[in-house]
Amino acid sequence: MVADREGGARRTPGRAVAYVACGVVLLAGCASMPDSGDLRGVESTPRQDTQVRVFPMPPREDAPPSEIVQGFLEALTSDDPHYATAKQYLTATAAKAWQPELSTTVLADGPDTQADSAGTREDGLDFSFTLTGTKVALVDAQQSYTPTEGSYSRQVHLTRDEKSRQWRIDGLPQGVVMGQSDFQRNYMSVNKYYFALDSAVGASSQPAAVADPVYVRRRVDPMTQMVRSLLNGPTTWLGPAVRSSFPSGTALQKGVSELTPDDQNRLTVPLNDKAARIGPAKCNEMAAQLLFTLQNLTPAVDEVELQAGGAQLCVLNEDGAAAVAARGSARHADYLYFVDGENRLVRIPAGSRSAVAEPVPGELGEGVRALRSAAVSRDEHTAAGVALDGKALYVGSLASGGSLGEPVVRSTGRTEKDRLTTPSWDARGDLWVADRNPDDPRLLVLPEGKEEPLTVQIPRLDGRIQSVRVAADGVRIALIVEKDGKQSLQVGRIDRGEKDRVTGKPQVSVLDLRSAAPQLEEVTTMSWAGDGRLVVVGREEGGVQQMRYVQVDGSMPEVPAPDALTGVKEIAASEDDRLPLVAYSVDGIVRLPDGTQWQTVVKDGSAPVYPG
Amino acid sequence: MSGDSAASAPGRSGGGAGRPVGRKAAGSRWGRFLESGLLQGGVQGSPVLRLFMRWVRRPLLPVMRLWRRNIQLKVVVTTLLMSLGVVLLLGFVVIGQVRNGLLDAKVKASQSQATGGFAVAKQRADEAASRTADDPTAVDGRSSQNVIQWMSDLVSSLSSGGQGAFDVVTLPAGDNSGSGRGPRASGGVDPNESVPQDLRARVNSSTTAAQSYTRIIYSGDKDSQPALVIGKEVNDPNGDPYQLYYLFPLTQEEKSLSLVKGTLATAGLFVVVLLGAIAWLVVRQVVTPVRMAAGIAERLSAGRLQERMKVTGEDDIARLGEAFNKMAQNLQLKIQQLEDLSRMQRRFVSDVSHELRTPLTTVRMAADVIHEAREDFDPVTARSAELLADQLDRFESLLSDLLEISRFDAGAAALEAEPIDLREVVRRVVSGAEPLAERKGTHIRIVGDQQPVVAEADARRVERVLRNLVVNAVEHGEGKDVVVKLAAAGGAVAVAVRDYGVGLKPGEATRVFNRFWRADPARARTTGGTGLGLSIALEDARLHGGWLQAWGEPGGGSQFRLTLPRTADEPLRGSPIPLEPKDSRRNRGLNDAGLPRGGGEKTATVPAQPTGGGQVPTRDPIAPRLAAVAPTADPTALPGNGARVVPRPAGPARRQGEQPVVEAARSTAPSGAADAGPEESNDQGEAVRGR
Repeated sequence: MVADREGGARRTPGRAVAYVACGVVLLAGCASMPDSGDLRGVESTPRQDTQVRVFPMPPREDAPPSEIVQGFLEALTSDDPHYATAKQYLTATAAKAWQPELSTTVLADGPDTQADSAGTREDGLDFSFTLTGTKVALVDAQQSYTPTEGSYSRQVHLTRDEKSRQWRIDGLPQGVVMGQSDFQRNYMSVNKYYFALDSAVGASSQPAAVADPVYVRRRVDPMTQMVRSLLNGPTTWLGPAVRSSFPSGTALQKGVSELTPDDQNRLTVPLNDKAARIGPAKCNEMAAQLLFTLQNLTPAVDEVELQAGGAQLCVLNEDGAAAVAARGSARHADYLYFVDGENRLVRIPAGSRSAVAEPVPGELGEGVRALRSAAVSRDEHTAAGVALDGKALYVGSLASGGSLGEPVVRSTGRTEKDRLTTPSWDARGDLWVADRNPDDPRLLVLPEGKEEPLTVQIPRLDGRIQSVRVAADGVRIALIVEKDGKQSLQVGRIDRGEKDRVTGKPQVSVLDLRSAAPQLEEVTTMSWAGDGRLVVVGREEGGVQQMRYVQVDGSMPEVPAPDALTGVKEIAASEDDRLPLVAYSVDGIVRLPDGTQWQTVVKDGSAPVYPG
Repeated sequence: MSGDSAASAPGRSGGGAGRPVGRKAAGSRWGRFLESGLLQGGVQGSPVLRLFMRWVRRPLLPVMRLWRRNIQLKVVVTTLLMSLGVVLLLGFVVIGQVRNGLLDAKVKASQSQATGGFAVAKQRADEAASRTADDPTAVDGRSSQNVIQWMSDLVSSLSSGGQGAFDVVTLPAGDNSGSGRGPRASGGVDPNESVPQDLRARVNSSTTAAQSYTRIIYSGDKDSQPALVIGKEVNDPNGDPYQLYYLFPLTQEEKSLSLVKGTLATAGLFVVVLLGAIAWLVVRQVVTPVRMAAGIAERLSAGRLQERMKVTGEDDIARLGEAFNKMAQNLQLKIQQLEDLSRMQRRFVSDVSHELRTPLTTVRMAADVIHEAREDFDPVTARSAELLADQLDRFESLLSDLLEISRFDAGAAALEAEPIDLREVVRRVVSGAEPLAERKGTHIRIVGDQQPVVAEADARRVERVLRNLVVNAVEHGEGKDVVVKLAAAGGAVAVAVRDYGVGLKPGEATRVFNRFWRADPARARTTGGTGLGLSIALEDARLHGGWLQAWGEPGGGSQFRLTLPRTADEPLRGSPIPLEPKDSRRNRGLNDAGLPRGGGEKTATVPAQPTGGGQVPTRDPIAPRLAAVAPTADPTALPGNGARVVPRPAGPARRQGEQPVVEAARSTAPSGAADAGPEESNDQGEAVRGR
């Protein structure tokens, strides 16, 4: 033992110094913040939900009538799935008769209550209030949003139960009513997807998916609500132009109350027997509809499994869904096109910062014809250009050496502003253009971009078309319609009817125009910016020019408006939200990449467009 | 000097016999103490519990033994416990302070934030109220301002400033069912569960803000967390009160605190382990030499005097070792010297005895011639011749005793053991002592000779011992009876010689076996024997592996007991006869004759020699009182022997009742012996020699 210690003592000095040195180095490393190190991914933490929730309260004992009405209105703004608490404010018969799902009336400031002068009965056992307010919108039973206006006034009648001596509501309007901010807190807009009728995108036989926005309650199991809504079929407005791959009568299996994806983000949807006898192709379409519909909900769904009668029908993931159907927002544009200072059509790679524009191949890029504006087909093989004077529309291939030939459409408008608009391509390859000639305003469509132009029937068009943009699905079309110096943004449904028996030409019409931005008094320019969304530059009554997003159904989307930009003349957005917004303003062509300010792309240029 | 070396042998053997017994007794006492401490304290009587306690205690015993024995363990464990205590205390203090500091900062920040929030809420209510007032369309007071949306917007805007730093909750004034206003909460907080009831009551009753600590319960899957909640009653645009609460989660503070906790725990663990290791090392450095010293000391005490400690370095431990080694060296030297000296002296005594023998023979022959012719001398010369012959006899016996003793000292004595019946030896001795007894008027009785008492022994030596004892007893018995008792039990045989003479004074029972010891130094050497008789007897008994022990009380007589193993080489564990006879005064419970009780008796486990002379004034009739003795078991008797020992006194007591008569008749006889001098038996195996 002693010898050991002596040996240790002899070894010590050299090693001790080494140990001490190591220790000092280690300590020095630990005692300061690291300035280098290995790379690691950062998991995004979801933003905390700061949404305000209203917790409904059942009526108090011996509450006065005004309190009953207030409590009832408040309970309507809660997350109660079936309005059970709100129904406690009603008499038993009224609770049975009341259907809250029937409609949702959105008032600007919520309902004001006014006590009516006196009850109708002598015994003082009844009371009535009038709910008043300014209507903003109405969500119908199909959950589709319709902007409305006008004043709201409904009566609410209360009686006093003779036995319990409690005031309860026995007469009330159907549906629920709430203020706009409560509506925005409680509801959210979700697109459900159907397939365009008879539409085949390009050469492939993929059907085009059409977005059908509906409003669902945000915190009342939106996933199941959306699945049910999807199974119920498209809304009335879109219905004639789309088809659902679900056989009619398909519904969730009985007893299924809640759908939640599992750990692998896979959602199992049990359907009833109506869907039991369908082929795999159809089933894939159904699953694709579900996937498209549920993709923007949380929790995320990556895969859908359909079941019917307890047996698995098919399983589809996102890649599979992309193969089944085409969505405008899934197509990535390669280039951004615009007309440069020499009136040539030039392009730069989409999303890049490079300011060096190259002329497109073909005559359009060679400056043979001076162009004012242009449109490039969605496959980026063909382009259409409007001559500088707006009198003629040329269509040419983007392959090098392609010639333009004769104009396919001519306008006879007196001034430049009365001639052809910027054309627009849909996903089928049809070219749309409007002639602004006040004497002969017309909307033309050139099937395949080269055939004889057809005049589109627009019943109930009130005014002159100033601008045309077709959605990628080829089912919806956005028009700027001018009347009496005021422009409005209208969205219509394209209806491709049977061929005319006399001329043999197909009949194309735009039906059911509705206002997508009723607040705007003046609309300068617009562009599709998503499946159900448009970006609009316009001016509200008494306001200044601003840029904002609008939903197709006229509601305000949740995404914030892009940064303000002055003097915007034209705007181009892609339905693929990864591509930056591009505008032609007084500063030339500018763009807005994600999370930054507007940047100048080219000083000298105009009419920027993405394919479409 | 020779006495020392001789005494060391009995001391060691006696110690060897006595120590284990004592330790065992101590151990069992410790065990009893443990049992009483552990068991009788809490568990009384219940056998199940006792069994359980035993079951629990069993595995603990080795640990406790280790704890008792191992100083290193004690120090390390104590250090660990104390450092653990200090670390815990420190941890509590530090954590408490950190917690208070964190909370203070959080509370201040939260209060200012909440106060701002309350002001905003009030301002908004005022704005909304004034807007309505300006609005001409509003009907007078009966129009209820639309507060539903206003309040939701308020909560939304107030909480949007927080983004996780706080959540906002509104509750109706009063209790939950108040005024048709539902609670509102941001961030998924469950308002009713998260705001404590007493805070609500407080906010209800006062107009100032109040705060409390609570636990936020979330309505989703989120885990609840501690929080500070500050609330105040505010008015809505209609002037109706509602309660506005700010909830500040203390998540960050808890994280900081748990970081501190973790750090402290880790540091404390390290400190405790470090202190334990330090204590272990230090104690090891001290304990290792101490253990070594203890081992060396044990070996030294076992006689290995050449053992030394290893000494390294110059520290205190090294000094201890050096001093220890020096001590051992000196001890060894001294012992060596003493041994040499004693050996030299023994040889000297032996040589002197031998050398004296040859001239003594010549002197003896010449003295015999002179003695034969004494009648021809004148009376004075004749008397001288007689004296010469007497003293030569004495000289001769002294010389032979010295030779015998020196033979024992030199270790030259050899035991020739064979099975013998002690009764024969005793009879032989008694018959040899009969003439002397008659002269003294003493009657010698033999007790316990009904059955053979056989032992493996050297007959010559045993006879010498017994003759010595019997003759001594007769000489000091003052004419009273001498009882020789035999007994055998449990691998041992014993012969006890009891007399009722003057007895032994305290302390004499051990001294009687000393060489040349005399009860009364004043008595001339001329009167007694050689003074070596009992020493030789003791050596003889020891040679057999037996005991020779003496007991006596002043005036109560004495008893000498020889105990021998039944077979040679077998260690003795007890004696069949108690050393103190049953008829001793103490056993009789008497304190007669004014003697202080307990002062007179002396038992000795070390062999002692009875007094050579009965100089104590005689107190005659002792024996009659012996009859009243209630016999008790003797502690020195073998346990198994008690039954045989106890019933006996009935016989001797009755017989002793006759003794006074006999002794009274002979009481005058010994008086003449004063002149004649007591005869002592010699070791030479010669018969008692009269004068």
